[in-house]
Amino acid sequence: MADFAPERPTLWQASTLPPRILRVTDLNRRVRALLDGDPTLADVWVEGEISTPSFPPSGHCFFTLKDSASQVRAVIFREELARSAVRPQHGMAVICHGRVRAYEPQGVYQLYVESITPAGAGDLHARYEQLRARLANEGLFDQDRKRPLPRWPRRIGVVTSPVGAVWQDIRNVVRRRYPLVELVLSPTVVQGEAASPAVVVALKRVFAQRGIDLVILARGGGSLEDLWAFNDERVVRTLVTSPVPVVVGVGHESDVTLADFVADVRAPTPSAAAELAVPDGTQLPAILDRLRDRASSALLGGAAQRRRQLVAEARALVSAAPDLGAARQRTADLVDRGHRALTARLERHRATLDGVRDGLRALGPAATLARGYAVARLADGTIVREPAQAPVGERLEVVIARGLLGTRVEKARSDGGEELLR
Amino acid sequence: MTQAESISDAELAERPFDELVAELQRIVAALEAGSVGLEESIALYREGLRIHAACEERLRNAELTITELGRRAGATASVGAGEPVPADPGER
Repeated sequence: MADFAPERPTLWQASTLPPRILRVTDLNRRVRALLDGDPTLADVWVEGEISTPSFPPSGHCFFTLKDSASQVRAVIFREELARSAVRPQHGMAVICHGRVRAYEPQGVYQLYVESITPAGAGDLHARYEQLRARLANEGLFDQDRKRPLPRWPRRIGVVTSPVGAVWQDIRNVVRRRYPLVELVLSPTVVQGEAASPAVVVALKRVFAQRGIDLVILARGGGSLEDLWAFNDERVVRTLVTSPVPVVVGVGHESDVTLADFVADVRAPTPSAAAELAVPDGTQLPAILDRLRDRASSALLGGAAQRRRQLVAEARALVSAAPDLGAARQRTADLVDRGHRALTARLERHRATLDGVRDGLRALGPAATLARGYAVARLADGTIVREPAQAPVGERLEVVIARGLLGTRVEKARSDGGEELLR
Repeated sequence: MTQAESISDAELAERPFDELVAELQRIVAALEAGSVGLEESIALYREGLRIHAACEERLRNAELTITELGRRAGATASVGAGEPVPADPGER
């Protein structure tokens, strides 16, 4: 200080005006107004380390915020302190949000803190938001990029930790719902520094597999730091290259990572991802039965329609009869021939219709067999209808309701048939 | 008889489940369309029953298959090698 003192007078001696003398209060008021007028200082985020916090009876907390080169006084008032998740501690690295004002009575300026967040988390939040905005701008999260999941997957790639509950949960869900698939685990660590590159490698490894229909990327819940690999740009960009749809199930319902945004389908949890990945197999027997029933009724319905067609044809023939009747007036002979032709045709149609009906009756083989009937077949599957088809000694398969009997013909009788059963 | 009998027993056992269901759906659709003759309808119907039974069988006996990638070759070496290694023999 002493070195500079002689120069001071020269500064205002150069002025022709006498110096304006301020009172201390005026000075502090001017400084305060200056600071209050700066919009940047009215809303600042300051990162630093808390030093020597004090908690006087007023309920406020005073501390110093410092970094390696500088420090600034800070205060957080009782109300804000009560709301804060973080209680100031000496040495704590934080980001403080608030405004800068001068405190006139003491001629100091300080940071009036409204909220405190741990520095690491604040940093992650900021990076998350920045990256999210950038990737969204590139269109990576657009809805029209989303691919539908295959309805009947056969091979499902699973990228997760091979140890722990998540992999177990996924296996359990798939086993319960649709055990017809193959799960292809591409193991990876999902936490810590190594997680991001490891997840990238595991994803690429499973993408390179042939015949994978979809990929599940999953991890259990955790803090923002724990889930950080799923916000890593490399992971997100690798997901974008997936040749097949990806379901991402990370953390809990409330955890939304950038991997979730880029996924074709976002699942709230790993188990939910597994549920979304496979159809509900418990419905399959019912679906299959419905298909079978539809086949049955289509077949029977088709036969009924054929029957209606025959009836319609027969009616058409009958309605053609008056013409024949008119012809009778010309030659009785012609009429007789006409009637004979008509009758013969109707007979033929009836025979066909009977054949159809018998065929349909025989069709419910299960029902017929259940009533105690049996079907005898030759080795080539031909159904035996007359003894001549199966000479003595011939092997026969006799199909009955609950199975099949291998038999050999011992004797044959050609008379009878249906009436032998009576 | 026509395409209806094209699925052999071996195929019934081997073909992916979803393909069998699709085949069954095709058969039902053909029957419902009513465009095939009676004989063929009956053949189709029989084929449908066979597939239905095969699907039920498959569901009854299904066991989850699990493969783990890269276990033998180390964490990073086997990209694309894809040699299936049973993950957990105790599970099967």
